[in-house]
Amino acid sequence: MARGKKEERQAAGGMALIAIVGLAIAFLLHMGFLNVVRNGNLLSETNLLFATLIFYSGAAALYLGFGVTGAESYVKFASLATWLGLIANTGAVAHRWYDAGHPPFSNVYEMLLSSVWALAVLTLIAEKKYGVKVIGTVTMPVAIVGVVLMQLLRTEVHPLVPLLQSTWLNVHVTLAILAYATCALSFALAMMFLIQDNMKTETFLAITSASTLAIYASVVLTCFERWGGLSLFAWNQDRKAEIFLSQRVRVFVTVSDLAWLMTLAFLVVAMPLVCYGLARLKNNDRFLTLANHCIFPSILLQAMTLIVLLVRVGDGRYPSPGAGGALPKTLAASPFILTGLVSSIFISLLFLLLVWRRPDLERLLPSPDKLDRLTYRTICLAFPLLTLTIATGAYWANQTWGSYWSWDPKETWAAITWLVYALYLHMRITVGWRGRRAAYFAIAGFAVVIFTFFGVTYLLSGMHAFST
Amino acid sequence: MAANLRSIFHKTWRTFASIESGVVLLILVVILSAVGTIILQRPVTRPEEMQSTYSPQVLWILDAAGLTDVFHSWWFLGLVFLVSLCILAASVDRLPSRWRYFSRPYKYPDEGFRRALQPQKMLALVNREIDQEAGEEPVLAAAERALQSRGYNPERVLHRDQLGIFAERHRISELAVFIVHSSLLLIFFGTIVDGLWGWRGTLNLNEGQSSNIVEMRDGKMRTLPFSIRCESAGQENYADGTPKRWWSRLAVVKAGEDVDKKVIAVNDPLLYSGVRIYQSSYGTGGHFTGLEASYEPGEWGVWSGVVLMGVGLVLVFYLVHVRIWVVPVRDPKTGTLALWIGGSANRNRERLEKRFNDLVASIKDELNPTAGSAPREQLATAVERQGG
Repeated sequence: MARGKKEERQAAGGMALIAIVGLAIAFLLHMGFLNVVRNGNLLSETNLLFATLIFYSGAAALYLGFGVTGAESYVKFASLATWLGLIANTGAVAHRWYDAGHPPFSNVYEMLLSSVWALAVLTLIAEKKYGVKVIGTVTMPVAIVGVVLMQLLRTEVHPLVPLLQSTWLNVHVTLAILAYATCALSFALAMMFLIQDNMKTETFLAITSASTLAIYASVVLTCFERWGGLSLFAWNQDRKAEIFLSQRVRVFVTVSDLAWLMTLAFLVVAMPLVCYGLARLKNNDRFLTLANHCIFPSILLQAMTLIVLLVRVGDGRYPSPGAGGALPKTLAASPFILTGLVSSIFISLLFLLLVWRRPDLERLLPSPDKLDRLTYRTICLAFPLLTLTIATGAYWANQTWGSYWSWDPKETWAAITWLVYALYLHMRITVGWRGRRAAYFAIAGFAVVIFTFFGVTYLLSGMHAFST
Repeated sequence: MAANLRSIFHKTWRTFASIESGVVLLILVVILSAVGTIILQRPVTRPEEMQSTYSPQVLWILDAAGLTDVFHSWWFLGLVFLVSLCILAASVDRLPSRWRYFSRPYKYPDEGFRRALQPQKMLALVNREIDQEAGEEPVLAAAERALQSRGYNPERVLHRDQLGIFAERHRISELAVFIVHSSLLLIFFGTIVDGLWGWRGTLNLNEGQSSNIVEMRDGKMRTLPFSIRCESAGQENYADGTPKRWWSRLAVVKAGEDVDKKVIAVNDPLLYSGVRIYQSSYGTGGHFTGLEASYEPGEWGVWSGVVLMGVGLVLVFYLVHVRIWVVPVRDPKTGTLALWIGGSANRNRERLEKRFNDLVASIKDELNPTAGSAPREQLATAVERQGG
């Protein structure tokens, strides 16, 4: 009887989620249609990118549908949606290549375009060749976040500056993208391994809640302005760049009251983690059930927060305490907040999928032993690619800057990534690490990859920072 | 006293050759490198920026600890040196036994080995018409044919009047790890040579001007054994005004004569006598071209190391050392002939098992040719039997 009620509640929750996702896709389609009407060009790069976003979102939604119903046909259709998205993505890549006259490697926008493409290809390879049919549940959200991020970045085509006019650009960047995409695949496989290895759902709860908590904490801690407004970077619409008072000192605008909403979201997102802590402390499983019940409201609130952010921070003008008057503001100046919020929603949704459909997921995934070996084999592929990335980068740097190694932050972090994966291989081959420990290491390795790819560009400075 | 000294040396050697030391040192390198990217480093930061980012006290502490120039500090270089020592010790420690394993292939498996090896299969050959004495030769020939058809190169092995077959592939894979680690040491060696004897500096010329003096980053001047003369230089722009190409027409002058000429551009330097001249920038006012010069004698160590590492990684990840043994054995009680087949690989066991099963099927096929094939005496009916 209790089971029936739980199923009912799940079904209701699932229907609500599907309704939300359906509305979001309808919204995207509407925007795409408007764009077509405005441009008159069906196959413009923007439209192709929109189509990519719609299909990848469709794939993610279908995985969610599988989460709600447990029917395997959803997974098959999700794979089809991924294929269609890849076709649109390839179209966008080709379009950009043709427009720019060089392969899409010369700025962050182009790098994301190529990386998302590589990730989709690897997803399909993992599904077909490795038989891991639900890998898209992890990789598709990453691809979607990538495409969303792209919508915010500068898209003008620039001819290559003298520095980038070299075949080594294509070789080095292709290798880097392939290497990092392969690392992303190993991360997804390691996560699947943890599911199959009977890692307790509570542990996933703690990790999910802690990650989403960290995202909201960093937003609140860095952007909370004294009276509850959200501090965001000001943005010059015409020059499409941040506004600086002096070197390294950016101008902020304050969007009132938004920070209170972020804080509320922060508290709600913290609830599951608190419940988990209480469950462990008092050894009482009721807290765990409470924690699981908190996830769904938290997703709704996160979605609401995101919508309010998008609506408030449209293209309006907001007061700036630093400079006089009101300054324009768009999300383009704070890509990380948007990325953080969208990622947080995806992480929570994935956890919900796990809670609702763990037995079905476990049925669809290969054995833990096979996943462990697949993770290892994927890293065996990624490691030589990482080595070649560094080697070609060094050779190119020698041709251009006269030095094959300058301890530039990007170079150093690429070397750190290489060392971390070298450590993984040592631990596995020589010390015999398998299973859980190897999976944790693979996940940690991917965190380093993310930092090398994004953190260095945006947080650290150096010759490699092609973001502006 | 001598024994004490020897035991100290022995313990030190053991520490350096152990995996734990290597892992600890690598983790330290990772942490310190990360620190070197987060704290502003003096060689690439203007002094004003250093002073505006850190308070004087903090800056004094960072300077004193060497954290403002991590990658040239003695403790970082010492750490890299220790890592090299570890790699060397670990390799030297393991090389003798691995070399023995590599150079003395184990071609005939004794009974104990045969009992324990996995995967293995025993094919009992049951056919009363077979002359059990001559039975071995055609059976061995069949196994050899099967191995050859699968791409192996089988050889007959005689061990104490017993005949057997041994086939292997990619023996070099056993030494692959040493190749990878030696390549690392070669790269380190190259960078050390460059650190000690290499140099980099700037050389700015006006059109028509020549110079043989290069200014180093620390202000010192270096005189080259030849001069560089800039005949002309220019900049091409794209339609929107952004730079497309910076170039300089250069001539190398030695003892009054022009010994080399080249038009250099960004990504396309001039190389003369080991020194590279780069196009690094272009002055906006007047015809002023910004060149850089560098000398890297250890460069070849680095690139050979990189190529060697590429080779080594291919050997480590993609070439598997596979060994196959085929030994005819007689049941001591009944005297019937059976064929023991065993396989081994130094990595990727699941692939070996699949290949091994395919090989056993091939051998069975060779022993029991089908009715439609060319007439050949049926040697025996091969019946699988587990164990040995």
